[in-house]
Amino acid sequence: MNWLYKKWWKCLCVALLFYVIVGSFFVPLSPGISKVSPITFSPDSLYTFQITAYNAHFKNPEAGKVQFWMKSGNDYYCPDSVRIINDNKAEVKFIISSLYQDSIKQPNFDIVANNDLDGTFALREGTTFIKTYTGTKDSLAAKTIAHLDDSIGSALKNESKERITDASVLYTNGSGKLFKCAVEVKHNKHQFTAFPYREILYETIRNTFFHVPMWFVMTALVFFSIVYSIMFLAKGNMRYDVYAHQAIVAAILFGICGLCTGAVWAKNTWGQYWVNDPKLNGAAVGVIIYFAYIILRGSITDDIKRARIAAVYNIFALVVFLLFIFIIPRLTDSLHPGNGGNPAFSKYDLDNSLRIFFYPAVIGWILLGFWILSILIRMKLIEQKHEL
Amino acid sequence: MKKYFLLIIPILANLILCAQGDISADNNDMMRSNHKIYVVAAVLAIILTAIFIFLFSIERRLKKLENSPSANR
Repeated sequence: MNWLYKKWWKCLCVALLFYVIVGSFFVPLSPGISKVSPITFSPDSLYTFQITAYNAHFKNPEAGKVQFWMKSGNDYYCPDSVRIINDNKAEVKFIISSLYQDSIKQPNFDIVANNDLDGTFALREGTTFIKTYTGTKDSLAAKTIAHLDDSIGSALKNESKERITDASVLYTNGSGKLFKCAVEVKHNKHQFTAFPYREILYETIRNTFFHVPMWFVMTALVFFSIVYSIMFLAKGNMRYDVYAHQAIVAAILFGICGLCTGAVWAKNTWGQYWVNDPKLNGAAVGVIIYFAYIILRGSITDDIKRARIAAVYNIFALVVFLLFIFIIPRLTDSLHPGNGGNPAFSKYDLDNSLRIFFYPAVIGWILLGFWILSILIRMKLIEQKHEL
Repeated sequence: MKKYFLLIIPILANLILCAQGDISADNNDMMRSNHKIYVVAAVLAIILTAIFIFLFSIERRLKKLENSPSANR
């Protein structure tokens, strides 16, 4: 156990954690659209959609042409006009004639934006199209054109005139893809390093480097503990019992960290501190099993007997711990990523930009766990020497 | 053993305090402002708190060792 006293891995731990905690805050979130208003619109009126983006660069010279589309199903519809207000704000004017409302199968429109610097980003189902009452198709067509002539101002009429003529042609040949426009983009991906923009998660995606490794550390310490429990049963050296016991103490520290950080994260994303998720309950049971280990040790006064019973209990506890943390949550649906699969390592859950911080974070936190463990072990050994 | 259970109480007490916030969901606005960046800050604060509690508990054990008659021989 000479490595307990070595310094290099503690320096590595500090360097990695410093890199993760400081470095990860310098990486921005990818551009995304956070708000679109109005959230509903009807046919035959020109709507001005206020689009609020996050971390976008609409005004940046490198951004080139800023494009917007309304997307319904797989069809892209072009807006009438786009006005850029600042880097994160734009106004988009958009109209749909009631002539074509029946050709729109998916009433929830995504708002899609693209420019050369930010790539393509969208707000899914940002605004909903509300169809008006439709009579027979012929009477509706007549009504709509008359309506446009009468009530909407001349500016709009001029804007829509071309469309209306097109519309009647399209209407007669029945293809109904009037506003659908070609989509030509230079880059689909943003041109800088950034963490993925996920609705609901937003900046909390950075918790991947803090909450998730807590459980990695706990698992590593628990495995360390069981190795020494087995070695104690095989060889009967009381030192091994100290190692196993202190590893569980350190594991509980990180388990509680994991539960508390998870609770705060859940409150602000899923809406509650504790939801009935198999992974949450499994983790809670896992931590409680190791509380029981500490209680079990406290209840036996004879040293050798205590060490033996604790070692055997530890082996059973690990089986239950692995079952509740790794197996049961994967068999059922969970709010955690990767339900029914392997979370955190799949390409959908972990972007490359997250990986360059996530793996160092896991190593760094595990080293911190073992650092804490080494202090606990040395402390306990001195205490035993002085018979405290 | 007792001191480890004592160690847990302050962390859990924090949770009980927050649980009262259910009546006023709007008070949570600060946490959700700026695209929820304060949630990350809170998570880091919790981890730091746990490490500090660990340090204090270690120091208490160390003090006991320093004051023990066998250590002063």
